[in-house]
Amino acid sequence: MCGEKSGLVGQLWEKIQMETCTACPTKTTLSSRSRLLHPCIGVPGPSVPAPAPAPAMSTSNAAATGGDGALGEPADDVLVEEEQSTSVSLPSLMTPPSAASMSLGMELTRKRKGSMDNQDSKCVSIPDVDMEDDQNRSDGEDQHVKVKCFREPHSQIEKRRRDKMNTLIDKLSAMIPTCNPMSRKLDKLTVLRMAVQHLKSLKGSASSFSEASYKPSFLPDEELKHLVLKAADGFLFVVGCDRGKIVFVSESVTKTLNYSRAELIGQSLFDYIHPKDMGKVKEQLSASELYPRERLIDAKTGLQVQADLPIGAARLCSGARRSFFCRMKYNKISVKVEEKESQANTSKKKESQKYCTVHCTGYMRSWPTSQLGAEGEGEVDKQESSHFSCLVAVGRVHNHSSPQVNGEVRVKPTEFITRYAMDGKFTFVDQRATTILGYLPQELLGTSCYEYFHQDDLPHLADRHRKVLRSKEKIETNCYKFKTKYGSFVTLQSQWFSFVNPWTKELEYIVSTNTVMSYDHSRAGRSGNKSEQSSNPKASEDCKKSPPIIPGISSTPGTMIYAGSIGTQIANELLDFNRTNSSPSSGNVSPFSLPQDKSPQTHNQISNSVPNGETPDMEIPGKSSSESEPQGAAFSGGETLMGENSQLDLESVVGPGLSSLSSDEAAMAVIWSLLETDANLGENVDFEEMHWSL
Amino acid sequence: MTADKEKRRAISREAARRRRRVESDVFGDLSGLLPLQPSVRAHLDKPSVIRLTLSYIRMHTLLKENAGTNAGTRHVIKYQPLLKGGGEQSGCGGARDKEEKEMEEFDASRETSMYLGILEGFVMVLSTEGDMIFLSDNVSKYMGLSQTELMGHNIFEYTHPCDHEEIRNNLRLTAEEVWYGEKRDFVMRIKSALTHRGRTANLKSATWKVLHCQGRAKVCMDPSAVSCLLLTCRPLPLSHTLLSRYTFTSQHSMDMRFTYCDQRVSSLLGYRPEELLGRSIYDLCHTLDTNCLNKNHLNLCLKSQSVSGQYRMLVKGGGYVWVESHSAVIPSVRASRSRPGIPQPLCILSVTYVLSGVEQPSLQLSLDQILHRCLT
Repeated sequence: MCGEKSGLVGQLWEKIQMETCTACPTKTTLSSRSRLLHPCIGVPGPSVPAPAPAPAMSTSNAAATGGDGALGEPADDVLVEEEQSTSVSLPSLMTPPSAASMSLGMELTRKRKGSMDNQDSKCVSIPDVDMEDDQNRSDGEDQHVKVKCFREPHSQIEKRRRDKMNTLIDKLSAMIPTCNPMSRKLDKLTVLRMAVQHLKSLKGSASSFSEASYKPSFLPDEELKHLVLKAADGFLFVVGCDRGKIVFVSESVTKTLNYSRAELIGQSLFDYIHPKDMGKVKEQLSASELYPRERLIDAKTGLQVQADLPIGAARLCSGARRSFFCRMKYNKISVKVEEKESQANTSKKKESQKYCTVHCTGYMRSWPTSQLGAEGEGEVDKQESSHFSCLVAVGRVHNHSSPQVNGEVRVKPTEFITRYAMDGKFTFVDQRATTILGYLPQELLGTSCYEYFHQDDLPHLADRHRKVLRSKEKIETNCYKFKTKYGSFVTLQSQWFSFVNPWTKELEYIVSTNTVMSYDHSRAGRSGNKSEQSSNPKASEDCKKSPPIIPGISSTPGTMIYAGSIGTQIANELLDFNRTNSSPSSGNVSPFSLPQDKSPQTHNQISNSVPNGETPDMEIPGKSSSESEPQGAAFSGGETLMGENSQLDLESVVGPGLSSLSSDEAAMAVIWSLLETDANLGENVDFEEMHWSL
Repeated sequence: MTADKEKRRAISREAARRRRRVESDVFGDLSGLLPLQPSVRAHLDKPSVIRLTLSYIRMHTLLKENAGTNAGTRHVIKYQPLLKGGGEQSGCGGARDKEEKEMEEFDASRETSMYLGILEGFVMVLSTEGDMIFLSDNVSKYMGLSQTELMGHNIFEYTHPCDHEEIRNNLRLTAEEVWYGEKRDFVMRIKSALTHRGRTANLKSATWKVLHCQGRAKVCMDPSAVSCLLLTCRPLPLSHTLLSRYTFTSQHSMDMRFTYCDQRVSSLLGYRPEELLGRSIYDLCHTLDTNCLNKNHLNLCLKSQSVSGQYRMLVKGGGYVWVESHSAVIPSVRASRSRPGIPQPLCILSVTYVLSGVEQPSLQLSLDQILHRCLT
């Protein structure tokens, strides 16, 4: 059968080629026609915006234009352009080559007939290739080919049908309690009979719907309403526009705001709204009079349109639609709050009044007052106007945790978030950093993070920095020491990841989540500081006095120049990736790779530079920094320059002048090694792996 | 011999016929018990009857569980006359007077339809396997397919293949969700047989419709009951809502850089619209919310519409506000139809709702905020 088919296809193909050759003048008109056609296909309705790379769309294009595409170059071009807009690869268009060529034949004959209805039918985007094919196949000699090729044997179809039925029956029997106890498989008829029995019993227990009901609903209305509100996680309310009186509120408000209905009905909505959102809600309620000034946007074009709607129209029109957010009071005397909510709210306890953000969607409605008042709506009758207008809306408690709480409450206070530019400059600092580091965000912003790293950690962090720029994964750093405002060090561990713009795939910035591992020796002072977050500036002054640490202001500018340039260096390194700089001065390698290469496989040089076997101690990064600092000094003691350095670390506490020198040196060392690592990149990575395998 | 064979054949034919008849009768009984309109009922085939029966039984077991907790909350709506009219928006407002008489009868259903109307969406109950156990009948308004056509089918048959993974993730119940229902919030593309003119087309010519699904998981401990997802599915409320002073619109290039922003942003965030141009939204957000925006951006790139959820935007002088953006990718209108050239770059339209006041206005979190302060 297949052979026959391919033979036929071959014939067809020849025929087509002949036709395309003969129909050269037609070709151009065809392609131009297809151009005309494209706007119809390419511009979808509001329901399906074109950019969605929806395969269905693409196949529709394929189906509609596939024939033209095979015709020749010009038409192909059009296709490509079209496909670019929908970001679908061109090859997908041509996947069924035989089908394409066959439909091509049909298209061609049809088009040459110039049947306009064919084109019209294609203006509607048709996601299913089969359909288009069917359409094409409907005429001509190929019909029997398709019948043979595409129709499955009847027995297959029957089998599928039976299988489907059997699985349905199985499912059904699983759902019917009377079927369950029977271990053996029941036959179809029995299951069905039991289903009938079960349905009858269900109907008996449930609120029965009358057979005569004009439109039976699948669920009892009461149940459906509950379902709606449960699914929406919200409550329905009706509020009078003029005074904001709550006319109606559904029972489910108890679950969401923890007020009973009776408490709310008749009250003013504004009593339950965050003071700052009053204006917002008032605006929404009063906007019924502002029809001409309403601002609406058309989703198709994104332009704002002026809505000129008849004022006082009783009918619900699109302009009467409301969708807004406001913060509503949450009843704090919560006896039985849902588990989840109570969990979310425990942190809020200290706040005097709790609010949750409610998304209100609904319509403005107005009724002639004459229609009202059947059930003691005395207040409503009192309305001076002939129309009582109100907002009928569903309030949904916002899915995400309520924003009224300050951001930091949710997160552990031993953690803060920073954002670095590519070169390690702070571009964003979470306010929690202040309690941990002592710096106000504005003190850190714009400076390079390298200025604050302990010199021992510079090589490691520089390495991580380089890694994170090239990796999509999150990169964990070892524990490292970060200089606080008071000159002491806090041990942090960070998780870095480079944030890449999903569209351009370009790196936007590095996000760092920093966790405090331990505080320095000045811990007591610091923790005291931590407890009183708000009085931070004062506390910081106290801290300055209590430990004998001098921040070393003179050192800072010097550090800034060099340490900051580490980051710049790394960023540049990424930018000109291919630059090869071969200056392997081994002397500079050692200070760089000191802390990171603690494995026995380290350079001989390094192990030489370590006089006493202190290496294992260094390996534990989480160790209190007071211990590791002198060790770091011992390490670098091998180097002449670093010799000064080593003292420095001990004495940075004492003398600012020295400290500035030392960190400069360290920074320079790192820069040198950076220059070098371009050449030694592979080696470096190896070390890294070894280190991690330990 | 042949006669005997004939006879046997006739007997078996007769038996089969009888069997089929009995079966049809049972199916008839079954469909008769389903709460369906007679016109719909007449057209159901056998698998559909089973499908709907399954849904019906499942819904009942589901609601039975609910009944325990909801028993006390059943109530009679006191303010019905006021609410009655609300149902009208669903399009049945034609013969008002006539309906007035029938109102008593249909109050309940009208009220329910009002609930759904206000929601501007339909309700879907999904089993953990993705079976659409229940759909509210207004689904036809959104998908062009009727409740009975869809109910009992699997959602994967109707959703965009690229979204299946995400839906599957949302259907999955984790251990902690067994104890309390976890909220769900995702965007998916679903087939819609509605044409631009509102007519219903063949399912084969269906287009994709972007729906925002919100809801919660419901876990049932009873083995016979079903664990499921209660969802409301709505198209994004982007168009034709009243934009208040606390809302601003903006347009972005596909990498989320501002290309346009309306005036209201200056009163809300302090930025002049022109100074926002060319800046990335990622520079303006709180870093803790980067993921939220990233997800939003991905949704936009893949599905063309998205709801951001709450995130913080930095205010010019310092501090931040909580906002939520509803965005859609819009194809630019071409200059003319005769010009078939490369379409204008796509852009993202966002409507951003400001949810809070400026929080911690003295706090400067980003470099930009400092620079602004220095300049002013």
